[in-house]
Amino acid sequence: MQHVFIDGSFEDWRGAARVLLAGAVEPDNISWSAAMQQRHLFKARRNFGAVRNVNVPATFIDLAKTASCFDDPTRWSLLYRVVFRIVFENRHLLSVESDADVRRLNLMAKAVRRDVHKFHAFVRFRRAEFDGTEIFVAWHEPHHFTVELAAPFFARRFGSMNFSILTPKGCAHWDREELTFSEPAERASAPSSDETEDFWLLYYRSIFNPFRLKVNTMKRELPVRHWSTLPEAALIPELIRETRDK
Amino acid sequence: MTDLKRKLEILADAAKYDASCASSGSHRKRDINGIGNTEGMGICHSYTPDGRCISLLKLLLTNVCIWDCSYCVSRRSSNVQRARFKVEEVVSLTMNFYKRNYIEGLFLSSGIIRSADYTMEQLVLVAKTLRDREHFGGYIHLKAVPGASQELLLEAGKYADRLSANIEMPVQDDLDKLAPEKTIGEIEQTMSDVKGGIDNAKDLTKRDGTAPAFARAGQSTQLVVGASESSDVVILSKAEQLYNRFKLRRVYYSAFSPASFTDTDLQARPATPPMREHRLYEADWLIRNYGFAAHEVTDGLDGGNLDLEKDPKLAWAIRHRQLFPVDVNRASKSLLLRIPGIGVRNVQRILNIRRYHRLKLDDLARLNVSLARAKWFIVTADHNPDVLRLDRANLPDVLKPRLVQPSLFEQSARASVAMGEL
Repeated sequence: MQHVFIDGSFEDWRGAARVLLAGAVEPDNISWSAAMQQRHLFKARRNFGAVRNVNVPATFIDLAKTASCFDDPTRWSLLYRVVFRIVFENRHLLSVESDADVRRLNLMAKAVRRDVHKFHAFVRFRRAEFDGTEIFVAWHEPHHFTVELAAPFFARRFGSMNFSILTPKGCAHWDREELTFSEPAERASAPSSDETEDFWLLYYRSIFNPFRLKVNTMKRELPVRHWSTLPEAALIPELIRETRDK
Repeated sequence: MTDLKRKLEILADAAKYDASCASSGSHRKRDINGIGNTEGMGICHSYTPDGRCISLLKLLLTNVCIWDCSYCVSRRSSNVQRARFKVEEVVSLTMNFYKRNYIEGLFLSSGIIRSADYTMEQLVLVAKTLRDREHFGGYIHLKAVPGASQELLLEAGKYADRLSANIEMPVQDDLDKLAPEKTIGEIEQTMSDVKGGIDNAKDLTKRDGTAPAFARAGQSTQLVVGASESSDVVILSKAEQLYNRFKLRRVYYSAFSPASFTDTDLQARPATPPMREHRLYEADWLIRNYGFAAHEVTDGLDGGNLDLEKDPKLAWAIRHRQLFPVDVNRASKSLLLRIPGIGVRNVQRILNIRRYHRLKLDDLARLNVSLARAKWFIVTADHNPDVLRLDRANLPDVLKPRLVQPSLFEQSARASVAMGEL
């Protein structure tokens, strides 16, 4: 059994995998471990020296990068098993979506993409002022390591605003020029109110149609674990109660 | 409560009967000094306990209306409280909500003030202010007021990502009874003007490589279901015609339910079962994405309405059992698309997989195919005992209790992430 320790970034895994593939090391003979926190997912920290490049389909790299943000320590061994099978068993393995390994990898990537999508949807900025400068700050709790994947969207959309998105899995900051990342933050660092929220809550209450109640449909798309970071979610229990009382 | 809050309450409440909340299908880069962009994919920023998403700030400019459509909360003779936003109020609500990432943009509709043209002018003024003064790059959906001049509609299309003129009823006879000021001809003329603007922008793009934006997310419409006697056959054939003639992106269906605001004549009508609306969405989905013609979905239906107990694809397959079983390892794409329980994405996956591997039942299970429905209709590489029961007379009954949750709905709910509705 070979123990491989990586820093928790995709690039570090990729360097290690390249060496292992060059030696045709079987997936079952490797035990992977990774540092818990990794800020720069896509930046290489180490140099693995000159190893023959292993060619794999570009679709694998994209899929693997996404799946590597999945918050589960077994992802590294799964990634290696799939790339090993692509190289030594079937170059078209990823097309066989009914294969158990491919399916698991796809499910991980899908969960990450969904987490990024929900990140884009559920960030709620609150306006603050520091030294007379307006800044919009949000507290969000992603499920996976998606801060770096999700942040560029906000820079494109809100490029003329200063903003910070704080999360327990790292933070993103935009100063109208550059996107930077920092260590995880505490919820208390984000503002606790915003003058526009009253209007938003009033809108949420008014657009709700009390003639139909589909709580499960709502929960499927607005998972309960996100409610604590969404100001409007505080209204949900009373809206349901009022409707049932009618 | 401040005056603005009271207006927001009244005019959001009045806007919720328009089902559309799509924010997809438009691409716009942010203006260098501006706020907002669109990247093609719609985003649902929140969900209310009715199961619907909030993607856009959906408002009426005013619920004052000179028309008297009996199913509508804002009709002239309704006794609801009336309010009217100032242009600036809608602009500032939109900007403030957008900057906090509550919404993808604005969906602005209105009751008819004075005339169709005056109303359309006011809607255009809001969109123009957002775009020209605020450099707002987010999504804008404007109501295309039936009967508004072509000139105004063409101006609206410059600022809006989507325009929608609601047809409300599938035939003129229904409109005559329920919406006496509206005519199918006038509504279709509005759709035709919008289509003209869209086609023109496309032609210019082809010729010059670029053209000013015009309703890049296309146009849609909405029908009220169950306020009139028209059956699903009539509704779906009208929808198909609208898709073909005006290249609509979507037709929305809204189940009628009598409420305190409803006209007394309609109070007596029973509420339309929500399942009827749901089946219409499924049938519409089959027409748009599965290669079904409207008459295929509706041929042989009892009373011209879709079966409430079975999804329309399963109901069609049971009516056409002679075409099954279908061999998933050999059948053409168009035939695979007809198998109950197998969706568009899985059809594509099956086509990919079978180049390298012959599919068995287990493979299909891993693709999340709904075997509860599919297994009766397919041949796989391994033995599938259930297909032998395909010809049994009681198959329809065997299939009934399994349909706890129709899978097409699951798909459309998931697709709503991309398309932003339901």
